[in-house]
Amino acid sequence: MSTGRQDRLLNKNIKRSRVSKRLTAKRFFEYFFTYLALLVIAFIFLFPVLWLVLASFSESGSMYTFKGFFPSAYSVETFKKLFTDTDMYNYPRWFFNTLFIAVGSSLLGSLLVILTAYVMSRFRFGARKGIMKTTMILGMFPSFMAMTAVYLLMTQFGMINNLFGLILIYSAGAPMGYLTQKGFFDTISNSMYEAARIDGASNLKVFIKITLPIAMPMIVYTLITSFTWPWSDFILPKLLLKNKDLYTVAVGLMSLGDTEFARFAAGSVFIAVPIIILYFCLVKYMVNGLTAGAVKE
Amino acid sequence: MKFFRKFFISAFCLCLAAPLAACNGGGLREKYAEQSLAALYDKFEGDLERGTPDRPITLHVLENDTAKSSGYLKVLLDGFNEKYKDYNIVAVDANQDQYSNLADDGPYGYGPDVLYQANDMLMKYCDGKHITPLPIEKLDAYNQLPELAKKTYTYNYKNAEYFMGVGVNMQAGMLYYRKDLLPADWETAWDDNKNGVPDMVEDMRKLYKWSKIRHDNNSAEYGFMQSFDDPYFSCGYLFSYGAYVFGSNNTNTKDIGFDNGNAKLGAGIILQLAAVMNSGCVDNSITVARESEFASGAYFAVPDTQDMYGTLSSELISVYRKQGMSSSEARAAAEKNIVAVPMPALPVSGDLTETDGDTIDAITMGGINGYAISSYTKYPKASLAFLNYATSYEMILKRNRYLGIAPARSDCNRDCTVQADVAHSLYSMVETDRISIMPSVYGVERIWTPLATAFTDIATDPYRTSGKKYTLGGGKCNYNALDKLLKSVNRNIYDSIYTINR
Amino acid sequence: MENTEVYTGKKPLIKRLGGWFKNLPVRIGAFFKRIGLWFKSRPSAIAAWAQGIKRSPKPVKASMCLMGLGQIMQRQIIKGILFILMFGGYVTYMVLAGGKAMYNFFSLGVVPPNPWLGIEGDNSVIMMLLGTLAFIITGFFIAVHLANIRDARRTYEYVSRGNATPDFRQSLASMFDKYFYVTALVLPIVGVFVFNILPIIFMVFLAFTDYGGNVVLSGSLVSWIGFDNFSQLFSTGLMGSTFFKILGWNLLWAVMSTALNYFGGLAIALLLNKKIVKGKKFWRAFPVLAFAVPGFITLLAFKFMFSNQGPINYYIEKFGGTGKLFFGIDSRWSARLIGWLVNAWLSIPSSMLLATGILANLNPDLYEAARIDGASAWVQFIKITLPFVIFATTPVLIGQFMGNFNNFGVFYFLRGGIICDGYFLASDTDLLINWLYRLSIDQQYYSFGAAISIIIFIIASVISLFVYVKSPSYSKEDMYR
Repeated sequence: MSTGRQDRLLNKNIKRSRVSKRLTAKRFFEYFFTYLALLVIAFIFLFPVLWLVLASFSESGSMYTFKGFFPSAYSVETFKKLFTDTDMYNYPRWFFNTLFIAVGSSLLGSLLVILTAYVMSRFRFGARKGIMKTTMILGMFPSFMAMTAVYLLMTQFGMINNLFGLILIYSAGAPMGYLTQKGFFDTISNSMYEAARIDGASNLKVFIKITLPIAMPMIVYTLITSFTWPWSDFILPKLLLKNKDLYTVAVGLMSLGDTEFARFAAGSVFIAVPIIILYFCLVKYMVNGLTAGAVKE
Repeated sequence: MKFFRKFFISAFCLCLAAPLAACNGGGLREKYAEQSLAALYDKFEGDLERGTPDRPITLHVLENDTAKSSGYLKVLLDGFNEKYKDYNIVAVDANQDQYSNLADDGPYGYGPDVLYQANDMLMKYCDGKHITPLPIEKLDAYNQLPELAKKTYTYNYKNAEYFMGVGVNMQAGMLYYRKDLLPADWETAWDDNKNGVPDMVEDMRKLYKWSKIRHDNNSAEYGFMQSFDDPYFSCGYLFSYGAYVFGSNNTNTKDIGFDNGNAKLGAGIILQLAAVMNSGCVDNSITVARESEFASGAYFAVPDTQDMYGTLSSELISVYRKQGMSSSEARAAAEKNIVAVPMPALPVSGDLTETDGDTIDAITMGGINGYAISSYTKYPKASLAFLNYATSYEMILKRNRYLGIAPARSDCNRDCTVQADVAHSLYSMVETDRISIMPSVYGVERIWTPLATAFTDIATDPYRTSGKKYTLGGGKCNYNALDKLLKSVNRNIYDSIYTINR
Repeated sequence: MENTEVYTGKKPLIKRLGGWFKNLPVRIGAFFKRIGLWFKSRPSAIAAWAQGIKRSPKPVKASMCLMGLGQIMQRQIIKGILFILMFGGYVTYMVLAGGKAMYNFFSLGVVPPNPWLGIEGDNSVIMMLLGTLAFIITGFFIAVHLANIRDARRTYEYVSRGNATPDFRQSLASMFDKYFYVTALVLPIVGVFVFNILPIIFMVFLAFTDYGGNVVLSGSLVSWIGFDNFSQLFSTGLMGSTFFKILGWNLLWAVMSTALNYFGGLAIALLLNKKIVKGKKFWRAFPVLAFAVPGFITLLAFKFMFSNQGPINYYIEKFGGTGKLFFGIDSRWSARLIGWLVNAWLSIPSSMLLATGILANLNPDLYEAARIDGASAWVQFIKITLPFVIFATTPVLIGQFMGNFNNFGVFYFLRGGIICDGYFLASDTDLLINWLYRLSIDQQYYSFGAAISIIIFIIASVISLFVYVKSPSYSKEDMYR
């Protein structure tokens, strides 16, 4: 710690004590408005989620029996029905289908993204800039017009009604979003790699033994983001899954009737829970990951 | 930037090259254009296909959700499989979305073999030849079907007529009301013609009046409630006054007739009714709340279709149970108190506030759901056997017992036991042309959005605080503006069919 | 465009735009001149090329004629055989399917399908797709062929320098070492080509056909029709005016919502960053909660909330007001406003997390110095925080802009199902992408939808490229290289 820093700390302390003595009213208002703002923000973001939870405990299926935001009667019946009344709406089945697709595409997709990002950051080769710019341009196409083509393609591959087909599409598209990960690899200094290279390690070995351990936070971030996309997507599964037993939760929830609002809410709450837990445990990685996409100073 | 320039230039060249390279198969296409339809029905000739015990013939059957949830589908499949055990034919539930589109799935081999859907969905498949014409002489149910059911499923192709599907049950919007919510003195005060039917369910003017009275007494209660954004239920008001969808018996899509005759009076009816409801009539709030609010007693009457009867009664039963009735009491009470009648008659003048004057019968939009056979099935004969089994006298009666549907077969309609009154009145509505069936030509799916928009616009008017578009001073309807609106509906539909079509 | 200006950060945008337009004729002239030069230089270039081939050593020439032959001649038997197998595979594919697919791509089929008679017929769109695939496979084959020639030449040079011929094991090892980047990228590139690029190219082709309306419904054969779809789009009729009306709103929407989300997230991050805030993790949890619920669920919940008889109107009426039709047919601006707010609710959490991360990287000394100079909090924000944050996040910002420009969900869920006066099958809150959906998926005018997506793409990419190239992060990134 340099002396300059200590001086500054000292200065700050002096300043702070002076401020706290003189401007108590102003400080009070600052506290007051800061926490007021925080409360308002917390309310705005919490309320709709809370409402959804409330709705899922509604006794009646229709949401127009609510008195304002609150159901007229509460019961846990909907949750019970969600898991037991599976003749028409097989929620547990949908849940495991979704889990399967999301985990599968998260693993495969992350591998491809990390590989792509690492190569694009670490190696210099002829086609590199071309690839970088092509992906940037391709990302600007409105994607769902291409859905028609994806459907036709999958009929030719015989992959309609096939959960693996979805995993394939999600993971194959994943490398398009490699920029964030590349930003992360850009920050790792070359010297570490060079040392290993001088020791005679091959590039594959460097990738496995050095890159992967360093990139752990980024890998976690990639795993989460490529998990959440298939977890909540409904356009692609709707297109490719015809058999009701193969539905994902999103498709299933969208196929519920008008009078099943409570079931919809219960199903939504249940599908949101894993993601919320995931986010809260790993919010640190999220912050770091999102920031890695930005340009470093 | 060099790269981007290169990219754009090559993309541009690609775009230029694509149309230039076009040659469209040239003369070869003309050579194959004519295909003789002489052998069309050959696939239904001869003996039934046979499977082997370890490789049985599997028929995928698409049914609707209520058939599945009520248990009827299981009865149907089990019965059929038992009957055709010796042939090793097994019919199974296709387990797809009930509205799934055969045109998307069929050509690639993912569609069902036999499907049960509404007539407008089934007939939409005809142009693409996705469902196959049926040999009339081999259909057991054919001679029992009413004329309208035959006409609905007839497809005209190159000046020949083909029969595409067998109607199972008729559906139309009817007025469902709560008998226990009638005023206590209805027999003296609300039955002028002394026919034992309350006037408010026979005459729209009385229903309008009764709705006002109910709402004035208690602001949480309403009389007749309907979401007008749904064209399926709202179109009827226009049809009653002479509107039609397409000209020349619903075949000429260049002639669109939503403004025909006095249709503007029908639009005025919607406007007047919307004023005695709440803002829920503008969007789908009432449709969504319909069954539960009907059960809670907030709504006296709603328009609904027969397939929703189960939901209506189960909601009402649970309300009665909460009031302390036993399960069987509640069931009996619900059965007694939910009554369905044809939509009430409308005044010739179009004015709901008048007290007397002539009336006209209301026409409602309806449909005939039925079975058809996919052209892509590998087992046409087995599929035909299934279709015949599913439309047999016994099975239709069973369907009525499980689902309360109104059979289209005349013999079943006569003998059915559940909701028999509804079935009979629907049948007579069909016979007296009070049901308007959706056309089955290309372009019909383009009418919904323009219509929904127009109905939303009309229903919004009572809730406009300023700049009312269709209401004059004193609550009178601005019929000129309504007529203009209907004309613009016609134009919008025309545009959406013809602007980019070739 | 790369030589127009080096970013100096001083010239105002208008001036730069003016300069760009002023130089346009010159630039167009230069462009055509360059094309002329290119053609002029062809004969000599071809001659040089032929010379190059002539002077090549024998194994390289052999590899040019037949893939892998050069390798075998240089006693790399296994490698050579692998190349030959690849060649064989390609030829087999071309003979069995590829050649036919290429032919079909142009003809789009001759036998119309007739399912009634069991005639499967030709499926034009599948033919177009498989034809495109055949062209892509051929492109890959050419790339592999060039790699094979390069490899033969490299081996030749390596051996002629007096080294021993590398055996197969060494070649294999180099795939995971020297050429690791090639091996690593094969899978991602194949995946992206098949599932991203192929569909996009297919869509571009689709815009020049008549695939839509009656053709789709009747399952007839599709034809190439040239630029008809585009000329209709820019015709003076309702179609053209709808396009420009929606485009204007779409731009407004994208700019406003990007700004709203960005500054909203930044504001919350700054608030949380204040020294006096205790329990930062706790407060941050609420926006993160919103982040975690799938978007379509929240959108539907908001739709219910603002519906005519929904909770919001319930309270308005309870307290004596008259209910509002938030998404009604006249409610253009209230629907747009709610759209912005709902979109902000959905997007602010992620931009907050982003801003939190960026702010953590900010050098605190700068603030200290500013405070000593007596700068107010606002001046500090404008002079220090904002420039840094904007500099660091320009690429992300462009991404967000693109996301908002093509934001399909918000108005699809909130206000679908109505059309407005003066619009062709669109409402006054629809974005281009919603219009596209209505035309292509709802109304099955696929080819027309494809034409619109090409235009959306051109507009979007021009805007974002322009912003990107003029942004400090771009010029600085270039300085790195």
